[in-house]
Amino acid sequence: MNQLTALMTLVERELSRIFRVWRQTLVPPIITASLYILIFGYSLGSRIDLGTSVDYLTFIFPGLVLMGVITSAYSNSSFSLFISKFHKSIQELLASPMSYLSINLGYTIGSLVRAGIVAIGTYVVGYLLAGITIQHPILAIYIVLVSSVIFSQMGILTAMWAEDFDQINVFTVFLITPLIYLGGVFYSIDLLPPFWRSISQFNPIFYLVDSFRFAFIGVSDTSVYLSVIVATVIAVILIGISMCLMQKGYKIKS
Amino acid sequence: MTNAIIVKNLKKNYGELKAVDGVNLQIKEGEFFALLGPNGAGKSTTIHVLTSLAVKSSGTVKIFNHDIETDHIKAREQIGLVPQEFNMDIFEIVEKLLYFNAGYYGIPRAERKKRIEEVLELTGLTKKRKVKVIALSGGMKRKLMIARALLHKPKILILDEPTAGVDVETRQDMWKFLKKLNKESKMTFLLTTHYIEEAEQLCERIAIIQKGKIIACDNKDKIMKKFGRDEVHVTLSKNVSEKEVASVLKGYNYENGGKLVKITIPAENFDYNKLVAKLGKLPLDKIITKEKSLEEIFVDLTHKYQSKKSVGGFSQ
Repeated sequence: MNQLTALMTLVERELSRIFRVWRQTLVPPIITASLYILIFGYSLGSRIDLGTSVDYLTFIFPGLVLMGVITSAYSNSSFSLFISKFHKSIQELLASPMSYLSINLGYTIGSLVRAGIVAIGTYVVGYLLAGITIQHPILAIYIVLVSSVIFSQMGILTAMWAEDFDQINVFTVFLITPLIYLGGVFYSIDLLPPFWRSISQFNPIFYLVDSFRFAFIGVSDTSVYLSVIVATVIAVILIGISMCLMQKGYKIKS
Repeated sequence: MTNAIIVKNLKKNYGELKAVDGVNLQIKEGEFFALLGPNGAGKSTTIHVLTSLAVKSSGTVKIFNHDIETDHIKAREQIGLVPQEFNMDIFEIVEKLLYFNAGYYGIPRAERKKRIEEVLELTGLTKKRKVKVIALSGGMKRKLMIARALLHKPKILILDEPTAGVDVETRQDMWKFLKKLNKESKMTFLLTTHYIEEAEQLCERIAIIQKGKIIACDNKDKIMKKFGRDEVHVTLSKNVSEKEVASVLKGYNYENGGKLVKITIPAENFDYNKLVAKLGKLPLDKIITKEKSLEEIFVDLTHKYQSKKSVGGFSQ
């Protein structure tokens, strides 16, 4: 049994689904980011001064890209796995000789590709409309990768736990969206009162946004090394948890 | 002959409910085996454990000597599953669905096309290859699930109530197809059903499961002999008093229904001559012998088990 063939098949299936419904999967985050660019780049942005060396649009742009990456990675794995659970087609994978690692990787790579396309698409819009460039491309690529892994694992965990579509949305509405908006996408945490600044440091998205912003403009609120380590550790922990639960068949086997 | 499936003391609990309660089974390679039981008896749960769709509470399951937990990849390679409920991406087209499924079993791309052609041809779905699963009829979806299960040339084909909810014609077609497949391949078949006729038509050995326990397991004919008691139905030409019938049939197990007397034949080596001689003392109109069908045996066994259970348990 060739696990690589099985893995590549699952990835192929995931990509086929992503491209089959590209209007839902790829376009919305790019349009959202473009609207932010238009609003903050050409209207409100010039009136906002964060006291940084760059204009407001350049400051928030990395966060906008990462917002698309996070929501795409999360919704891809959560929706795809949950639909499989809902249609019971997950049984095709569970009864097959695919290893749990291959199954997990298949969903993760699918999320990664979708998030990567959204990141590139949004960046191209930013480059064309506002001339935004990247100072540290390798760091930028790493942060996109690690963010995709973190949120694809969260998507897998949510899909395993959820029993209906409402529960899938609960995480998006009550956890991911607040974490994104409070993670420093639109402001520097230095502007927050000390208490809220300390609270922000428990938000994993803060480290992702901060280091990703550093990759673009070379300025960050906290140490980039710390951010990269925190992000990597979170990704590893989440992979461990989702693999462990998948092996136990948590809510995907009876 | 090699054992294809060995199940030892398998238990599966859902909270307080013992869905499978100490099942033991040995199915030989090439056998067509039926797991027969009423709804909720534990058939599907047993199948789900065998195919890794459910996690067992205790016991061991080996598929061609591969443990389903410690050697699950090898164990799963041997099995093709046709589940009771449709479990497919209904928005996928038939050909693509088979293509992905073949891939999950590690079949290289180049070979997949050939295998897909074969199973489509075998199940008569070639013309439906470009159709979306959602557009197929119930019978065709069942055939597609069989095609999908055969893609990787499994050594064991597990069919969980494969004809549930299909019309009589499709059911007959499917039986013909399965018989042919069994004859032409060396595949081992494990079938669960509550259609007794299905088990009678297709299988060599039968296990009857009730309340998670196997209450009978043997060759189909042996089960019929062991549990199937023949009956002699005697129609009398006129009414006879119970006293007179009792004196003639002393020592026999009978049921007096006026002009119709039903005598249960107790054992295989029964002396019919002696009975006929005794019956000659009664005003006879007609004598017929009646063999119990598998269905009657099944109903008797499951009812007996049910009533014994209700008065304090039944030893297997």
